[in-house]
Amino acid sequence: MQDLIQLLLNGLSTGAVYALFALGYTLVFSVLGVINFAHGAVFTLGAYFTFLLIGGAVGANGLLAGLQLPFPLPFWLALPLAGLGSAAVALLIERVAFRPLRERGADPLLALITSLGAGVVLVNLIQLLVGAESYAIPTSSLAGLPAAITLLGARVRTVQLLLLAVAGLLLVALSLWIDGSRSGKALRAVAEDPVTAQLLGIPSGRMIQIAFGLSGLLAGIAGGLVGLSVSIAGPYFGIGYGLKGLGVLVLGGLGSVPGAVLGGLIIGLAEACVPAELSGYRDVLAYGVLFVVLLVRPQGLLGRVLPTKV
Amino acid sequence: MDATLLDASLLTQMLIGALLGLSVYLPLRCGQLSLATPGFYAIGGTLAALLSTRMSGLGGSDPTYPIGSVLLEMALAALLCGTLAAGIGKLVLRLRGVYLAIATIALVEILRVSTLNQEALGGAVGIFGIPQPFDEPAGYAVFTLLLLVVVCWLCERLERNRLGRAMAAIRDDELAAACQGINTERTKLVAFVLSAVVAGLVGVISAHFLNSWNARLGNFDASITTLAFVVFGGSRTWAGPVLGGLVLTALPEVLRPIGDLRLIVFGLVILIGPLLLPQGLISPSLLMWVKARLPRSNRTMQTHGGQL
Repeated sequence: MQDLIQLLLNGLSTGAVYALFALGYTLVFSVLGVINFAHGAVFTLGAYFTFLLIGGAVGANGLLAGLQLPFPLPFWLALPLAGLGSAAVALLIERVAFRPLRERGADPLLALITSLGAGVVLVNLIQLLVGAESYAIPTSSLAGLPAAITLLGARVRTVQLLLLAVAGLLLVALSLWIDGSRSGKALRAVAEDPVTAQLLGIPSGRMIQIAFGLSGLLAGIAGGLVGLSVSIAGPYFGIGYGLKGLGVLVLGGLGSVPGAVLGGLIIGLAEACVPAELSGYRDVLAYGVLFVVLLVRPQGLLGRVLPTKV
Repeated sequence: MDATLLDASLLTQMLIGALLGLSVYLPLRCGQLSLATPGFYAIGGTLAALLSTRMSGLGGSDPTYPIGSVLLEMALAALLCGTLAAGIGKLVLRLRGVYLAIATIALVEILRVSTLNQEALGGAVGIFGIPQPFDEPAGYAVFTLLLLVVVCWLCERLERNRLGRAMAAIRDDELAAACQGINTERTKLVAFVLSAVVAGLVGVISAHFLNSWNARLGNFDASITTLAFVVFGGSRTWAGPVLGGLVLTALPEVLRPIGDLRLIVFGLVILIGPLLLPQGLISPSLLMWVKARLPRSNRTMQTHGGQL
């Protein structure tokens, strides 16, 4: 029973991060129809922002060696700020890597390349500035919260509960916004057809920016949470999440918000169930699921089938 | 150019880049964005590494590894990659656009993680001491160049013959092509298999050239770098990916003097390149410009072929 709770919680908290991550992809994919390959880098950036804001000191290998914030912020303040910082970077990526192509009506394939270029620049910039070493966000930054609590007889890391709570809150808020608000409706209209939406008086360009900003915010917060939960393994640590996020995205259905959440939870739980002796193959699971889903049900679990247009 | 910058070893890497670019270009000729190239490249490399280090009969302990054994490895790699691609292609080529791209990324990752976890395939450490068929890097450069010439010739044929035109038709409009009686599934599969075979052959050369092999050589980064070769060079004719592969492979090496900044500059090039040259270095307008300046006899020959 205790093991089961532990397993469930491990799976759900990992899955919640995947869901946050995949939602960022989905937001951009639904309005532009392209995958933003710089998303993993924005996630990484969120983790580093969080680390710096809570007063972490930069190691000796980067240009910013020894840099430290003179007034460390508490985690609950640092995390949203890191999210905002990441959102700003995501907006910058939209401006530099996506908008010029869109304005020219270029092949969407090119956005794969430009966004990847942006990702390469970001990751290497991080490496240049703060070095390639791993950083841990100390759990002591969660002032007042115990490191672990006992839940139904199982010892549970507070970090995991926090991760689950924050991710859950964000997911609910986002769904409410998309389904219930006027601007959320505008976003859905742009996702349906940007040109028609523009004709109906919806500022398509602005909605695309909002999608990018939100996706950056989600990625940054997810990055900060993962940094707190498992530490920042180096500038490249977002890439693995970036690839798995693709799996989650396809499993749920490209462009579907509830699908991204469902896909994230399923893959998170499935990974938690992989026994320790096969842990080397854990990463295959997401890709294997992705591959099978694409072959059996390419539209994903909750995606829509679009008729072939002539 | 500085002699230290363009040595035979860098030249070999550039030629390998050009070949990998062509491998991505082949499916793209019928509009299929497949990122499976590094997967088949890794299969070829692993196969060569295993055969040459474990099968003593191939001459791995000879002072110079027999070139015949390399050719045998290449034949086997081509066979293995071709067969696998035919099977996998039947499944994945039903997918379109970004879905195919994602499926092939998943394929590459599955291969990579599986290899990492199989000690017999080199595991996380990799395979070392792959025997050398050439004493000098120049040997590799010549050998790779020969393969590149053969593949370029093949691609040139593909821009002129019936199969190649069928590919171009599918790229422009798959539905219309199918209505014209083109067997779209078979044509796409041929392109996918050719792409896999080229990648596998390059993997064999690469394994000997690098002297060691590990699973990380066929990862997601490689998928994207090879795609960048094609997008950067231009995907309308085979010369594009060749040029893109040569230039983008050389770039990080040429930039080595600026040290830590070089990958940032590399990223900026892939970021800004498509913005400035959306159709790649070898763009249709450049081709038109070149054609207008070709000798007349050559030009009429091409118009006779029904070129646009």
